[in-house]
Amino acid sequence: MGTRLVSLEEAVASLVPAGATVGVGGMHMTAAPMALVRELVRTRVRVRRLVTSPSTSLQADLLIGAGLVDELVSPYVGFEDLGLAPCFRRAAEEGSLRIVECDEGGLSHALYAGSGGIPFIPLPPGIERTEIPAASRELYGETKDPFTGETHWAIRALRPDIAFIACREADEEGNVAFGRIAFTDRLLALAARSLVVQVERLVSQEEIAAHAPGTTLPAFLVSAVVVAPGGCRPTSFPGEYDRDEDELRAYLAAARTPEGFAEYLGATAG
Amino acid sequence: MSPEYTPTELMAIAMARSFRDGEVVVMGAVPTIPLAACRLAQTLHAPTLSYIVGGSGTVNPTPAALPTQSCDPKLEGGPCTLPLPDVVLLEGRGDVLDVFCAGGLQIDAHGNCNLVCVGERERPKLRGPGSVGLPFLPAVGRTIIYTLAHNPRTFVERVDFVSGAGDRAELVVTTLGTMDFDPESRRMRLASTHPGVHVDDVVAATGFQLLLPSSVPETPPPTREELAELRRLDPGGSLR
Repeated sequence: MGTRLVSLEEAVASLVPAGATVGVGGMHMTAAPMALVRELVRTRVRVRRLVTSPSTSLQADLLIGAGLVDELVSPYVGFEDLGLAPCFRRAAEEGSLRIVECDEGGLSHALYAGSGGIPFIPLPPGIERTEIPAASRELYGETKDPFTGETHWAIRALRPDIAFIACREADEEGNVAFGRIAFTDRLLALAARSLVVQVERLVSQEEIAAHAPGTTLPAFLVSAVVVAPGGCRPTSFPGEYDRDEDELRAYLAAARTPEGFAEYLGATAG
Repeated sequence: MSPEYTPTELMAIAMARSFRDGEVVVMGAVPTIPLAACRLAQTLHAPTLSYIVGGSGTVNPTPAALPTQSCDPKLEGGPCTLPLPDVVLLEGRGDVLDVFCAGGLQIDAHGNCNLVCVGERERPKLRGPGSVGLPFLPAVGRTIIYTLAHNPRTFVERVDFVSGAGDRAELVVTTLGTMDFDPESRRMRLASTHPGVHVDDVVAATGFQLLLPSSVPETPPPTREELAELRRLDPGGSLR
């Protein structure tokens, strides 16, 4: 039995290709793979295109603030009840970040398509009444229903070169139990060409087997496992720890200016 | 004599009154007010109402206190959780969900909502978080729009970016009053003013010409029962 356990440093340095489309999981301020994201920032990995979950927060804002992201595909970047995302907002308002508008439904369908080799998926009604498809022609296109002849908007498949997600447990071989609500992170994992999973703890093969059918990511889909207890902080990991609201607020206050953000990065880079 | 309450509590109560028994409600980010409204409606007049806290996909969660975030781990004690891709499927299916609770950086005279930008999208004056699930608005039975920001910057004649269309907008609830939509023109119309708020206040706080019926009733203040139940659901005072 091989092992997929690697250090944080190895996971990022050896696995992320140059100019990659990178997927990052975690929904709102829950289960963001912050240990991996901080390593991406520390080693200044350039991301050609960042794909997020339907609602992302610190995991995207840090990468954007560090100036590492050329293009963003995300339906929502923000801190929900705590406020707007300061670096995302600044980059958007300055015009230094290319934003591919998309919506929650479109993103979920695009990842499903990417997971199954489906080139695109026609979308249900509603999207045609918005300004999203016209703003994002590389992601949304019109297609004809072969059965009725009706025209629909379709979303193109998304296939990140590599995705980073956080789960509760893995065994050494790399079988992973989410141990939490998966949001769209399973689709992200399935759609990605390679996958790095940050886990709260390593468990034995017997333990992971005992959790089946909750063990839903087989080792053959997993490129590397990094054990990082508490590694989602300051976001939450359900059943393990709540979000650290003080720390999130401190970040939001610091990141209001580029100087404050740089100081925050310096202080937390370790 | 009515008990003391906050404008936010009245918003939750007004929203709760609009829910009908058996309906399925979906809500998005910062779910505090619609979640309170759903739970209140279940308790008072709609026992078989169901609600989905979008984001987490939790169905009918009954947390001890009202969370302010949609993926709060405290929501996970509910009877069921829908995987998020399934929530997306059901939103698109169109015949399962009855009510979508929505909001926006901007809300326009026809109930279109914008969460993307104020100004030009390429170089916005203010960049919002993004459209999330708002494109589904016309696919769900009816839309209830709510906002704490009833001012001319939020309520504009035409949104700068359409994240979700107002085709099925039925009710707007704010800290000043409630609005509905004229069935002919589909323009927003003042339906009631909250106690202590004058029609002129609402008109001044709205950045477009609000349709005004010949007489505008007052939003009925909370009954003792409504307020007592609401406070029981909100021991942390999230709505106060």
